[in-house]
Amino acid sequence: MARRSNAEHAYVVAYDISDPKRWRRVFKTMKGYGRWLQLSVFHCRLDGGRRAEMASMLEDLIDRDTDHVIILDLGPAEDVELAVESLGKSFQPIERRAVVI
Amino acid sequence: MSPSDTRSDPPAGSTPGDDVAKPSRPAARQGELALFAPPAATDEMLVPARMVNEWTYCPRLAVLEWGRGEWAGNADTAAGRRAHKATETGAAPALPEPEALPDDRTLKTRRLLLASERLGLTAELDVIEADDGCVVPVDIKTGKRPHVAEGAYLPERVQVCVQALLLREAGYVCDEGALWFADSRERVRVELTDELIATALRAASDLRLTVASGRLPPPLDHSPKCVRCSLLPICLPDEVNWFRKGAIARTPPPAATPALPLYVQTPGARVTKKDFALVVQVEGEADRAVPLDEVSELVLAGPVSLTTPAVHELLRRDVPVAWMSSGFWYLGSTGPQGPRSAAVRTAQYAFAADEARRLVFARELVAAKIRNSRTILRRNWRGEDGERGPLLDRLALLADRTARAETAAALLGIEGEAAALYFRALPKLFTEGVAALPAFAFERRNRRPPADPVNACLSLLYAVLTRTFASAISVAGLDPWKGVYHVERPGRPALALDLIEPFRPVLADSAVLMALNNGELAPDDFVSAAGGCNLKPKARRALIAAYERRLDQETTHPAFGYQVSMRRLIQIQARLFARFVSGEIPRYPHYVPR
Ligand code: SF4
Repeated sequence: MARRSNAEHAYVVAYDISDPKRWRRVFKTMKGYGRWLQLSVFHCRLDGGRRAEMASMLEDLIDRDTDHVIILDLGPAEDVELAVESLGKSFQPIERRAVVI
Repeated sequence: MSPSDTRSDPPAGSTPGDDVAKPSRPAARQGELALFAPPAATDEMLVPARMVNEWTYCPRLAVLEWGRGEWAGNADTAAGRRAHKATETGAAPALPEPEALPDDRTLKTRRLLLASERLGLTAELDVIEADDGCVVPVDIKTGKRPHVAEGAYLPERVQVCVQALLLREAGYVCDEGALWFADSRERVRVELTDELIATALRAASDLRLTVASGRLPPPLDHSPKCVRCSLLPICLPDEVNWFRKGAIARTPPPAATPALPLYVQTPGARVTKKDFALVVQVEGEADRAVPLDEVSELVLAGPVSLTTPAVHELLRRDVPVAWMSSGFWYLGSTGPQGPRSAAVRTAQYAFAADEARRLVFARELVAAKIRNSRTILRRNWRGEDGERGPLLDRLALLADRTARAETAAALLGIEGEAAALYFRALPKLFTEGVAALPAFAFERRNRRPPADPVNACLSLLYAVLTRTFASAISVAGLDPWKGVYHVERPGRPALALDLIEPFRPVLADSAVLMALNNGELAPDDFVSAAGGCNLKPKARRALIAAYERRLDQETTHPAFGYQVSMRRLIQIQARLFARFVSGEIPRYPHYVPR
C-alpha cells in the first residue's frame, strides 16, 4: 500500500529488469530520486509526493510481465535509527543538507 | 493493496447498467435553475468543475488556487496524478455528436474538455460512457470509497454534477454521473437531484463572485480537512486563526517542499543538467550530481556558468536561480517565483503608501532587532560579568525607546546607537583562542569593502541572508524591491533588507560566531587586497555551510509556541507578512526568541 503521508521516509529501491535498455532508463530515472547503492539498488529519502511520483515513473518504464521493482519503506527519515549492517563498504543514511560547492 | 491497482482501466468492467431500469428519454432539462451569477463575460474565466469541488471542500482553498494563483502539491495530489494517468494514455474514440450517439452499445471516451459560457462553467472529463443514447461522466478519484450514505462526499459529487450539466448543455442526455475510486476499485453512482444541481450552481456562482470581489474567505477552524490540504503551508489556517481567536496553533505547517538550496560559488564551476539531476563540474574535482527534485533554489555566485538545458529544466520545475556577484551582492533572480497573481503585491504597495502604518511597523521591527542582538550577547557572553548587565540594560532601554520614535530618522538614530553598542561588544563572544588571533580582531562594523576577516564574514552572511529572504518573499507573492523601513534604491531588495533586521543577529552573526569559535575558519582563509578583505572560496563554502546548518536548527516560534526549523520559520514569516499587508491579520508577529 502506497503511503500517503507527507513526511520524509527512507527507502531502498531494488529492481530486476530483463532488458538492458530498460535497465539503463530505470537506472537514470532513479538517479533523480536517490543514491546509487549497489548494482540495481538505490537508497532514497522521499516525501509522500516524490514517493508517488517515483513509483509512477517506474511504472511507465518497466515491462510488467518480465520486470520487477520493489520499494522498501524503512520508516521516517528523521526519527528512525536504521539498523544496518554493512560489510565491506560503509553505509551512510542520507542527510538532508544544503549543498554548497 | 498494491499501488499498481490504481493503474487498472477504471470503470469499464463495472458497467453502469445495473438492474435499475433507466427512464428511456427523460425530460432531461428538469431541475435546471436560474443562475446565481450573471453569465461569464468573455474575458472572465469559466469556473472549472475541479474548483467547484474545492470551493465545496473549503472556500479558501478554491480562492487561493483559482483567484490567487497559488499552488502546492503533496502526497495526495501526486497520488491523484498517478491515478489519472490511465486516462491520459491510449487511444480513445471521440465522443460523437448527440444525435449520432449509438443507442445499442457502450462507448467510452477519455479526456474531454467541455465549457459553457452560459453556465460560466468548464470541466475536464476523465471518462465518458455512452450507452443507450445516454451519457455518463465518470470521474476518477484516488483512495477508497468513503462509507457515507450518499456514496461519496459532497465535493466529489458536486464536481461530477457540473460535468453532467455541461454534457446536458452540449445537447446530450445525461441522467447520472459516477465516481470511480481507484484504491478500492469501487464505483459510486451520483444521482443528479435538484438539490445537488442547485448546490453545484450555487457553489460555482459564490466562487466567481468571491474571486471578483477580491475577498479571501477565512480559514477553516481546527478542521481535519486542513491536514490533508496541499495548500496548508501557504494558507496557515492555525496561525491566522490564532490572531482571530487567540487559539493556540497546534503544529507548524509542513514545508511546501523538502528541497534545499544548492549554492555554487567556486569560480569557474559549470552547472549542467543530466537526466534528472544537476551536475556541478569543478576543474580538478569529481563531478557532483544533485537530484533536481532536491533543489529548492539554485544560488550562483560569481563566475559560474549554467547551461541552457539546465535553465529550461529549472524554469519548467519552477525552481528559481539567484544570481549574485562573487562578493555575494544580490543581483536578482530568474525563474518563476510565487503565485501567478498580483493580489499580494498590490496590498503591499498600498501598505507601503500608508505613512502611519509604515512607522508603526518600523518601530516594532527595530525593537525586534535590538532585542535579538541583546539576546545574542546575553546567551554567548564570555567577557567580564560586570560589563554584561549594564550593556544589556542599555540595549533593553533602546529597544523600549523605539515605541516613542516619531520619525524614521529618529528610529535610525536609535538603531545606530544600539548597533554601535552591540558590535563593540561582539569580540566578548569569541573564545579565548579566537580572541587571541590578531587577524580576528574586530573593532567596529564596516562594509564595502569590509576591512577585516570578521567584517568580511558578516558581510557575506548578511548578503546570503538577504538572498534567503528575497526568495521567501517572492515565493509568498511579495515584491522584494519595495520596502517599508529601508528606502528604495536601485539594486536594493528593500523588503528583504527590512525583514532580515531581526534575523541578522540570530542567523548571520550567530553563524559567524559558530564558525569562528569552532575553528572552522582560520586566518589564512582570508585575502586582503585594495583595502578590503575577502574569504577564499573554501572558506566561503565553510561559512555558508555553517549558515545553512543554522537554518536547520529548531526554534520555538514566540507567538505560536511550536517548534519549527529556522528555515521553515522564515517561510512562515514571509507568508505572515503577506497576510499582514493584506489586512487579514492585525499585526506581524516579529521573531523575538526568549
Ligand atoms: S489549509 Fe484548511 S483552511 Fe486552508 S485552504 Fe486548506 S482546507 Fe482550507
